[in-house]
Amino acid sequence: MSNTKEIIARNVFFLSAIASAVMILAILVLMIALGIPLFKAGNFLAIWTGPWAPHKGLYGIWPMISGTLWIALLATALCMPLSLGASFVITSLGGPRLRRMLGTMVRFMTGIPTVIYGFVGIFLLVPLVREGIGGPGMCVLTAGMVLAILISPTMILFVTDSLLAVDLSYVQAAKALGANRVQRLLYVMVPRATGGMAAGIILALGRALGDTLIALMLAGNAIQAPRALLEPARTLTAHVALVKAADFDSLEFRSIFACGIVLYLFATTATVAVRVMLRKREVPT
Amino acid sequence: METKDKIIVDGVSFFYSSNRVIDNVNAKFKTHTLTAITGPSGQGKSTLLGMFNGMWNDTPGARCTGEIQIRLGGRWVSPLKKEIPMPLLRRKVAMIFQEPNPLPMSIAKNMAFPLKLAGIRDKNIVQEKVQRALEQSFLWKEVKGRLEESALNLSGGQKQRLCIARALVLEPEILLCDEPTSSLDAKAAGVIEELLVSLKSNCTLLVVSHYMDQVRRIGDQVMALEDQGLKRI
Repeated sequence: MSNTKEIIARNVFFLSAIASAVMILAILVLMIALGIPLFKAGNFLAIWTGPWAPHKGLYGIWPMISGTLWIALLATALCMPLSLGASFVITSLGGPRLRRMLGTMVRFMTGIPTVIYGFVGIFLLVPLVREGIGGPGMCVLTAGMVLAILISPTMILFVTDSLLAVDLSYVQAAKALGANRVQRLLYVMVPRATGGMAAGIILALGRALGDTLIALMLAGNAIQAPRALLEPARTLTAHVALVKAADFDSLEFRSIFACGIVLYLFATTATVAVRVMLRKREVPT
Repeated sequence: METKDKIIVDGVSFFYSSNRVIDNVNAKFKTHTLTAITGPSGQGKSTLLGMFNGMWNDTPGARCTGEIQIRLGGRWVSPLKKEIPMPLLRRKVAMIFQEPNPLPMSIAKNMAFPLKLAGIRDKNIVQEKVQRALEQSFLWKEVKGRLEESALNLSGGQKQRLCIARALVLEPEILLCDEPTSSLDAKAAGVIEELLVSLKSNCTLLVVSHYMDQVRRIGDQVMALEDQGLKRI
């Protein structure tokens, strides 16, 4: 009887896995199929590398790809010191009360709606950047800073988890040999958690690449490939949100599927990288 | 051989949250002796050892009362009152565990690790101290040709001897051993026993063990932790 249950369960799980994989592939196929009118309309390469000028019949999404990379990479770079520091305090450097408090705060941050971060950015950060540094205020820098805070819980939780997964006997050995908290962290925990930590960073980057609202509210949405932090930019997701209202049959509308394909490739690359990093974590060094 | 007191335990109790794990322990441990501590499981033998080098200090809910005095470098210090920085205390009061715990790095790096922690980086000094500690632990001949190999490739007994050597590299005054042979076969355990006895000339040893025949064989004094108190037997 239990054998039959096991066979049924195994087949159900197998079918679920197949269904998930098929759905993921179907999404890609659907995006390619819906984008075909755009791909056939002009220079295929120009869609990915050319400028966006619908009035001239140019539907290149390079400005959006560039804006996405600028904002996401800046956010990840700004988020790293913040998140690694917080993870180090939560896992080893802080006292019990501070660890608990920080841990609770990070978990609370994951529940705050993105739009709240957007409000804080618009009403606090945009004027500060505009008055303090210059430029229009709504720019790569502002969006990157707010996005850094938004993605920090992802990075903190993943890095914390990786550090806490280090074999306790190693930490105990170092402690008994006279390692202080910082030494235990730097010489024992971090070298054994690099795979997981890198996976956390990539996961946060993936989250930054896929975020819509912050860029839409704070990046200025100018269709240009930014060349400086104080310039406005439009991300792929923001472009999808803004162009969605266009006529379904127009090539302008079809450009959102090109954006979707790029985002899909970004997400796939991040996922594969995370898997590789996590596999690396399992190998003792 | 001098036989002055090395550790004095005066009315020490240990609480973990609201549980009293050790109750009013009194004991004296002489310098350059091996004290074997035995007793049933769950009576707090490992906990008692951990109190001498502050292993419980960061544990939430752990609390000690009473007094422990340890004579280090001719000066009495109290680990419970944190009269000495804990990393420094642990370099002088070393500890080895039931399960050998070499770090996942080479034998040489494992041995040099405590020296690195203590800020000793001179290659000649490191090499000299590492060789001396490995010789003291009867391991030098077995590993001298493969110091760059992973320590995880050693046998169980060799791993434990490596851990003892690693603890000895900083020349501790006290060596705490928490059931150091319980995960080893009889032959490897015999080598460790012989090694521990030989280390009395270098330091004071406190060895927790379940095996009554072993504690009688190696101990200059044998104590039993029963009903939360420590009694000489």
